[in-house]
Amino acid sequence: MKKRKIIKTGIIVAVAGFVIAGAVGFYMFNMPHRDVQSAKADYSLNSSEIVAEYLTDADAANSKYLAADGDSKVLEVAGTVSKISEDFNGQKVVLLKGDGDKAGVSATFTPETNANVEKLEIGQSITVKGVIRSGAAYDSDLELYENVILEKSDVVTK
Amino acid sequence: MKKLVLLTVVVALFATISATGQSKLVSSKSHIKFFSTTPAENIEANNTTSVSTINTATGEIVFSVPMQGFEFEKALMQKHFNGEDFLNTQEFPKAKLTGKIINLDKVNFSADGTYDAHVEGELTIKGVTKPVHEMGTITVKGGKVDASSKFNITLADYGVTFAKGKPSTNVAKTVEVTLQAEYAAQ
Repeated sequence: MKKRKIIKTGIIVAVAGFVIAGAVGFYMFNMPHRDVQSAKADYSLNSSEIVAEYLTDADAANSKYLAADGDSKVLEVAGTVSKISEDFNGQKVVLLKGDGDKAGVSATFTPETNANVEKLEIGQSITVKGVIRSGAAYDSDLELYENVILEKSDVVTK
Repeated sequence: MKKLVLLTVVVALFATISATGQSKLVSSKSHIKFFSTTPAENIEANNTTSVSTINTATGEIVFSVPMQGFEFEKALMQKHFNGEDFLNTQEFPKAKLTGKIINLDKVNFSADGTYDAHVEGELTIKGVTKPVHEMGTITVKGGKVDASSKFNITLADYGVTFAKGKPSTNVAKTVEVTLQAEYAAQ
């Protein structure tokens, strides 16, 4: 009798384990991408500040802002619109760059947020929110300063 | 007389600046695609965040690729890709291609046309630099320059290896890279 009970409990635990493992596995496999816009911003700063931070110490900035799994920090960056363009996926790209700064912050929008770029004008002061993909740096091969890159961006209205 | 000297200097300076300025083309509009195919599944990742330059005088071509800019359909794949065991993008945030068009005499950047370009150089991924020799196409149309190429990368060359688990069966050993960039004068 006692032995039977142990076996029964064992089977129930095993089945439950399988179901949970399967569900977790299924969830992991189909895990949705992080929703950057509904995530809370990790840092709020202006375009000149983050560019200066990267140009001063890129390694320190990378370990502060980039995450090992690619879900890097969500930033709210204030700045002046200096260029508006479009990428090969039809996503709008807004460059925020301060007067006299060597590099700026390039924010790529999404099909859902593209429309919010239509209202923007060059010279306007705005705040964008997005996930950081890479930092600013002087590249001696390009002979150019590279911008900080944000993706999944949107305009923040306060 | 003084004025004339000054004027000459200014003109000469301006000429040099415009000459060097004109020879350098910059692209911040690009698309790089990774494609891996195995019997198990096809995996694709897209990146539109790269910056590239072509020096039309010397044939030097550079691509700087922010690795965290690769977007996968599945979030888990993207996490794996960025992770320490795969591309380790926190430590190596950028990949870079530096090369030279070795048949520059066959490419006329100032005349409309489609030109085959032989590019020889180096590709650095995850801190590992390997020599590359690839074919590309340069299209000049109405003053606009477009470059494209398709080539294969053997992941193990760059220390990206999967010994066991799902990635070892589902990620191809050699992935196809498609690259496209649109250039404008700097």
